[in-house]
Amino acid sequence: MKCKLMLDRYLQMKNWIKITLVFAFLMFNLAGMAQKQRFPKPEFGTGYSQPTPVTPEPRALALEYTDVVVLLIVLSLASWFAIRKRSRKGLLWLSVFTLLYFGFYRNGCICSIGSIQNVSLTLFDPGYAISITTLLFFLLPLIFTLYFGRTFCAGACPLGAMQDLLIIKPLSLPEWLRKTLGVIPYLYLTFAILFAATGTDFIICRYDPFVGIFRMDAEFHMVVLGIAFILMGMFVARPYCRFLCPYGVLLNWMSRFSKYHLSITPAACIQCKLCSDSCPFDAIDYPTDEKQSKNTKWGVNRFLVYALLIPLWIFIGGFAGSKAHTWISKANPTVYLAELLLSKPEVRNDQKNLDVQAFLSSGKSLETLVKEATVIRQKFYSGGWIAGGFIGLVIGMTLLGQVVYRKKNDYQPHKGNCFSCGRCMNFCPVKK
Amino acid sequence: MKNKGIVFFLIILAVVIVAVVAIDFNASKPDKQPANPYAFNVDPFSRIDTALILFKESRDLAISFSEPTGISFRGDELFVVGDQKMQIIEPTGKLMNEVSFDQKPTCVYASAEKIFVGFRKSITILSRDGVKIADWNSFSDSTVITSIAEKSGIVFVADAGKRIIRKFSFDGKAQGEIEGKSGNDQIHGFIIPSPYFDLAFNTDGELWVVNPGKHSLENYTVDGKLRTWWQASSIKIEGFSGCCNPAHFAFLPDGSFITSEKGLIRIKTYKPSGEFSGVVAAPSKFTENGHAPDLAIDNQGNIYALDADKKMLRLFVKK
Repeated sequence: MKCKLMLDRYLQMKNWIKITLVFAFLMFNLAGMAQKQRFPKPEFGTGYSQPTPVTPEPRALALEYTDVVVLLIVLSLASWFAIRKRSRKGLLWLSVFTLLYFGFYRNGCICSIGSIQNVSLTLFDPGYAISITTLLFFLLPLIFTLYFGRTFCAGACPLGAMQDLLIIKPLSLPEWLRKTLGVIPYLYLTFAILFAATGTDFIICRYDPFVGIFRMDAEFHMVVLGIAFILMGMFVARPYCRFLCPYGVLLNWMSRFSKYHLSITPAACIQCKLCSDSCPFDAIDYPTDEKQSKNTKWGVNRFLVYALLIPLWIFIGGFAGSKAHTWISKANPTVYLAELLLSKPEVRNDQKNLDVQAFLSSGKSLETLVKEATVIRQKFYSGGWIAGGFIGLVIGMTLLGQVVYRKKNDYQPHKGNCFSCGRCMNFCPVKK
Repeated sequence: MKNKGIVFFLIILAVVIVAVVAIDFNASKPDKQPANPYAFNVDPFSRIDTALILFKESRDLAISFSEPTGISFRGDELFVVGDQKMQIIEPTGKLMNEVSFDQKPTCVYASAEKIFVGFRKSITILSRDGVKIADWNSFSDSTVITSIAEKSGIVFVADAGKRIIRKFSFDGKAQGEIEGKSGNDQIHGFIIPSPYFDLAFNTDGELWVVNPGKHSLENYTVDGKLRTWWQASSIKIEGFSGCCNPAHFAFLPDGSFITSEKGLIRIKTYKPSGEFSGVVAAPSKFTENGHAPDLAIDNQGNIYALDADKKMLRLFVKK
């Protein structure tokens, strides 16, 4: 009893230390925002000539390859810790290294999550060539996941590491909420690919909530975003990974087919239920209820109806996407500028509108701009069909998943959702 | 419900996340760009409490200059330079005399017998009736003459380009320089980031010099030793702000300072001790981002401000 009390106190104290550290870190990020300017400004020259702006040299190729080698080593170690060594501690320290190296040292770039956009752009824009490093950052985690599950999430992703280390009091979310929020990554992935393929924006990078913290130079609203995710992550474990990460969608698919995947127990499950509450990500599947399996006829009928509805979902999604393309394409700066200049010609006289003034001083005619915008809008139309169709497919498959019955006898990690963090292994009394 | 507080907190965070993304996505459009975040807004400092305004504008004299640059008062006459000329004007506005030059003057000083007209790197000496007596051209290329004053036969010339005060005898012989530096840490030297470097003698015959980079007024002996100084760094009404203020100054008959500032244009008065007394003219009187008015003061303590933007001489008298 006394031991339990002491343990509770220790855990409480540990949580308070974590909270204090998090707030100290956040305050550090907010510091230094005040700046003083001089008014009026000096008029005399100082003899100092402003250097001509120089485009920085790209990172040395050898260092880029070093990043790939580091990723390879980290992925290998993460897989080894998760599958063979079964060491939660090993994964924890590995994620600390990842946070320091890929997060704070490499400033969150290069990043496998963002590489989705580079791959998309290189597929749709013949003028853009992806670097071999970026391609490897995209492919290596997927290949590893296909063999070992999402060990990338466990130890090689700086965003995951950041959130994982700050979990304090994880709440278990109800299944309906998890399923509903679980659709968001598919939407995010769809829009990320659509925007990248049309050369509109790299929204994954733009809304990376932690990159500003890694670089210590985020704009105020991005600091707010990062802080909001960190605070949320204290109670909803890894909110970005579970309910936003577009790369997580691909990893989820790969992991479902993984050859070797982390298991809670190294031998036969003794149904002790000790692991049942160990996963902060609600990624443990419980043994199925026998009663549920008896009502099979009704389940088969529903399965058939839902399966037949999938093509309809795809069509509805595609149709809606194609109809929405005009509105969505306004996210593209060229399309928006062309529309703005056509609908409000007086904006040409607005000297404060830097985008308009930059266009006017470029010497490009409005006709050329409109032609470019039309081509982009056409891409959005085709993309709208594909993207909408994909979202329709996701909705159809999600509904179908509700009626698919899979018999489970033991407590098992959900192969798609499990981050292979290894927390559950520590709770299993079976050690060999 | 368990963990009610945490759930409520999480909902707020979710709203914040959605709001930040939505606002940012929408705000980046060409016609929805936020205001320049680097703009330095001095509007709050341009509003002056009317109780602090001790002078009123009594008269404006239109002047025929496109770019007036300097003013001086002696006897009952005003000496105004600018463009490529000097005009001698009565306080009523009546033009008495006009002298032309082949370059633009930067400043003017009228002594009891002579008129000293400063150019960028030369000085022309005229008699009081406008006849040229001499030219002083022995200045370096980096010289920028911004102010002239005379006392006991020694002419003091503020050289903003070289950041020194040059001394000359009446016949143009160099008598030395004042650098405003010494072994004493209190004297830094003149910090002149812009061509605004004024000097003047008060009614007690003491030489005062603006050190605009330090926002200070410094009193030197004629041989260049610092006697005393006062400093007022602040963008608030009590002080001077920016790279180089005050741009010009002059003395009232009781020894009080009248200062004129650039950037946020305002004319103020300080006691002989350097303590802020009040305002002569608030920023609202002047053109935004205009020129600091050069100052001249008549024997009754009326203040003439040369408004280069409105091209007029503005007379301020005590309320």
